[in-house]
Amino acid sequence: MHELAPWLRLIFQRWGRLSVGGLLLLITLLSGMGLLALSGWFITETALAGLLLAAGAQASINLYTPGGGIRLFALTRTVGRYLERVYNHDTVLRQLSDIRTRLFRQLAATPRSHRRGLSGAQWLSRLTRDVDALDTLYLRLIAPTALAVVVSLLMVLLALILFDTRIALWLGLLLGIALLYSTIGTLARTRQTSRRLSDGEERLRTHIIEHLEGFAELTAAGRTGKHAAWLMRQAHGFAKEQAKVDRRLGWNQALTHLLINLAAIVVLWAGFGLFQSGQISGPVLVLLPIALLGLAEVYAVLPEAFGKFGATEASANRLNQDSLDAPGEGTIQATEPPNGTALVATELGVRYDDCPPIFMHFNLTVARGEHLGLVGHSGSGKSTLADALAGLSPAFQGDIARLPTSYLTQSTVLFEDTLKANLLVGDPEASDTQLWRVLELVELAERFASEPDQLETWLGSSGSRLSGGEARRIALARVLLSPAPLLILDEPFTGVDSPTRGRICKNLRYWLKGKAVIALGHGPDALPDTDRVIHLIA
Amino acid sequence: MAELGKSNRRWMYGAVVAGVVTGISALVQMTIIALIVHRGVGEAVPVRELSPLFLGLLAAVCVRALGQGMQTRMAARCSEHVRCDVRRQIHQHWNASGPVALGHFSAGELAREWLDHVEALHGYYARFLPQLLLALIIPSLILILVFTLDWLAALLLLLSAPLIPLFMALVGMGAEKLNQQHFQTISRLSGQFLDKVRGLTTLQLFGQTDAAASVLATRSDAYRRITMKTLRIAFLSSAVLEFFASMAIAVIAIYIGFGLLGYITFGPADELTLFSGLLILLLAPEFFQPLRTLSQHYHDRASALGAGAEILSRMNRLGRGSPRGGHDGQREDKPQDSVLLGAVGLCYRQEQPIFSDLSLSFEKGDCIALTGPSGGGKSSLLHLLAGFVVPDEGSISVFGKPPGSFSFGWLGQTGFLVQGSWADNLRLTRPDASDIAIETALTNAGLRPLLESRDAGIHSQVSEDGQGLSGGQARRLSLARIFVADYDLILLDEPTAGLDTDSEVHVIEALHKLAEAGKTLIFSTHHQALLTLANRVLLVSDGELRDA
Repeated sequence: MHELAPWLRLIFQRWGRLSVGGLLLLITLLSGMGLLALSGWFITETALAGLLLAAGAQASINLYTPGGGIRLFALTRTVGRYLERVYNHDTVLRQLSDIRTRLFRQLAATPRSHRRGLSGAQWLSRLTRDVDALDTLYLRLIAPTALAVVVSLLMVLLALILFDTRIALWLGLLLGIALLYSTIGTLARTRQTSRRLSDGEERLRTHIIEHLEGFAELTAAGRTGKHAAWLMRQAHGFAKEQAKVDRRLGWNQALTHLLINLAAIVVLWAGFGLFQSGQISGPVLVLLPIALLGLAEVYAVLPEAFGKFGATEASANRLNQDSLDAPGEGTIQATEPPNGTALVATELGVRYDDCPPIFMHFNLTVARGEHLGLVGHSGSGKSTLADALAGLSPAFQGDIARLPTSYLTQSTVLFEDTLKANLLVGDPEASDTQLWRVLELVELAERFASEPDQLETWLGSSGSRLSGGEARRIALARVLLSPAPLLILDEPFTGVDSPTRGRICKNLRYWLKGKAVIALGHGPDALPDTDRVIHLIA
Repeated sequence: MAELGKSNRRWMYGAVVAGVVTGISALVQMTIIALIVHRGVGEAVPVRELSPLFLGLLAAVCVRALGQGMQTRMAARCSEHVRCDVRRQIHQHWNASGPVALGHFSAGELAREWLDHVEALHGYYARFLPQLLLALIIPSLILILVFTLDWLAALLLLLSAPLIPLFMALVGMGAEKLNQQHFQTISRLSGQFLDKVRGLTTLQLFGQTDAAASVLATRSDAYRRITMKTLRIAFLSSAVLEFFASMAIAVIAIYIGFGLLGYITFGPADELTLFSGLLILLLAPEFFQPLRTLSQHYHDRASALGAGAEILSRMNRLGRGSPRGGHDGQREDKPQDSVLLGAVGLCYRQEQPIFSDLSLSFEKGDCIALTGPSGGGKSSLLHLLAGFVVPDEGSISVFGKPPGSFSFGWLGQTGFLVQGSWADNLRLTRPDASDIAIETALTNAGLRPLLESRDAGIHSQVSEDGQGLSGGQARRLSLARIFVADYDLILLDEPTAGLDTDSEVHVIEALHKLAEAGKTLIFSTHHQALLTLANRVLLVSDGELRDA
């Protein structure tokens, strides 16, 4: 339950919308029940009056009030339904947006070391299934439960007014049992399984992806069949458990409905006592049981909603885990270095996760305006070192003082957006002229000047196809655009052919004047011009 | 869709039968209630004499609950079968199409189909299909009953009956639109979100996370507004259904009331009693209820159809990929100790044959290097020898058997590891390997130093999600699998491409050991050290093959 708390708080921030939506739901439900109950009352009343008339007695009956009431209920039911749907779906979409933005902000405040290890497919399922479980929490669970409580209380009140205390108490008891059974009862019977299922699905997804990624090796070894059979057994167990939950939900639904029907029967039976002793009229006797039958509409959705509660908790739990509530900056803030230097690292110890340290007692001083090359073969841990120097991951010992830094990571990251938007990440204030200049630096100005959309060219899967080298150069351009006085470039020219690399190096000579640069690469030829080179030996 | 769930009709009809029982007991329940009111209120019969009726009423609601429970039970069973069945079918298609065809698709996407799309079929088989039949049967039963009570009232209901297909179309169109819109919005937003999350480190580095969050918020708000425009129209359909249902009840109630007062002088109204009047009223909502339930389940149909269509189209695409199996190479005269390719032709696309009339033979124990420009057919040749693709013409025999009919070692360009320990990873292809064999294999692949840094040796986790292993280490893990399984034939696609020098040395050393052990090695490479390792180097270029 506690894992839902932050999300519930978020949902209830829109309490105004939630109450209006709930009110519309209430109006719709009450109109439906009122329509039937009033019609039942009306038919009984007219039947009795009809009998009197047939017997030749005088009977007067007001046809217009109930007739008008019936028409009114029919109308409010229809209009209420429409408004309720439109309004509540709007709320759900707003909540979807709230949850996503919140999730993103949380992730953004989490250091990278906490959110490693989720594949794209896993993220996608987080975003569709897990967020979905939360954004419908109000419409599926909270609203119907509140509605059931309110309408049940109204029914008890009605019984108190029209019938007597004893019947009201009986009704309250039966409806109370139905409410507890359909909510907490369902929860108790399905919570664990539903939670287990939700986590089991994640595991199954990992396994199936492994199966597909290793398909060639498994096929060669003649093991695809066995491995697939193993997966099928898991999937079968999974489906069996799901069916078990479904069955339990079905029975809970049926029993809840039975309790509602029983409530109607008990009220009818007890009401006859009052009717025969002349305390209530026939039409009034009919009114309450018929209204009660209409309660099934709201009670019917409760077991299903509570049956998914375990899964919802698991979803919330996963989302919480991905973005630990560790408030802070995504990157580590560093202190100002002494005058004349751009970066000073003292007694630095660096390691990847909990692996053995890659560097110990690493000391480095980079002067302002100095261009330093760090060379080491791949696997020597230079990217881990670069991450630590740039403040992306913490060093497990030692201190780093550095100027504001712009860092080109080893992997190229471009967004599904325009070229301009991608570049502006480096410096949101940059003018178009500046963008073109930096594109010239990386020898891409001509390439994009010939595109019809120029700076507005859409990058990414649905847009212009970039080669690996072109993407790398855009990422480099973005870093160059940044006004930061210290640049850390990890393998800046991956995938860039050597003639282009040479031209870019020449262009950079002037541009990088006055900036401190730490360039890392597998060899000196993979780096821009440097003043000195340090060879890393892990 | 029928193709996917054909074996499960039994359970589905079971669910329908249970639904009909539920429906009939509801009719009985309403009849008894109307009867009780008629006798107790209309004829003022003492409540004691009504006891049998109350008992009957109790029985009816119990049967109703029982039917309801049985219906979901059967439905759950039906969808359980469908899901397992469809997953098995997907596996069969995967197996039939082989690694090469499968490699064209992203594993995440295929996994989503196998898991999520199949899950989406549940609502269709468990809820929508049975309800579709029930929405026909139950209203018909009610109509018949009402007809015997008062034909005019039945006519009123019947008048709305031709409107029912109209409802359905409206509801259907609405629901479909709603669903499409919803999914589109979700997937667009997910795509944007995913993109931003993937690049989160970059955004953090440039201090742009706040700006990105605002962009996300404004974009999802814009999508919401567009979606709501459509939804406002789509929801009209449910309003229409609600309108007809409420209006029918209101009109029937007023007709019956006036009829009972004797104000209606035409038709069967003068025969109305409290019993028949009340019963017709009670049945009216039951008449519309199955339709309403159906419209609620309509989105199940829409999402299942979408999911099913994707599954089937993938199956078709995979099916066309390359038919495997059905080798004709079982003849006895194939030599047991050599590999033969006779006049092999292969083309993926009509206009561009990869190979035509390609012939090659070499002995068991040979170490063959394939070299040549990329796109020249090196990988295709390896795929042919592996049996991953079947030649369009000619025949291939490996040690006298069709390729792929026995276990062999395969090393692709990406290493493959599963969550679990080192031992789990090696036993994946050789479940009966001893701990000692596993350690030896890991040593042979040069992973000993890494292993020694872990506490539990081969039983320690290979770092979850593979983050702790570099690409080279992952490939060496795959190589260790080949060592432990002791295959006669080993095929390797660019075994040293993109490796750091450390891993490169280990891989070359390992291949050397394998070659010395008399294994048949065939690999594609540009690497000089590997070319010297081979005792025969073949140049593959433009589908031609010659000794280099």
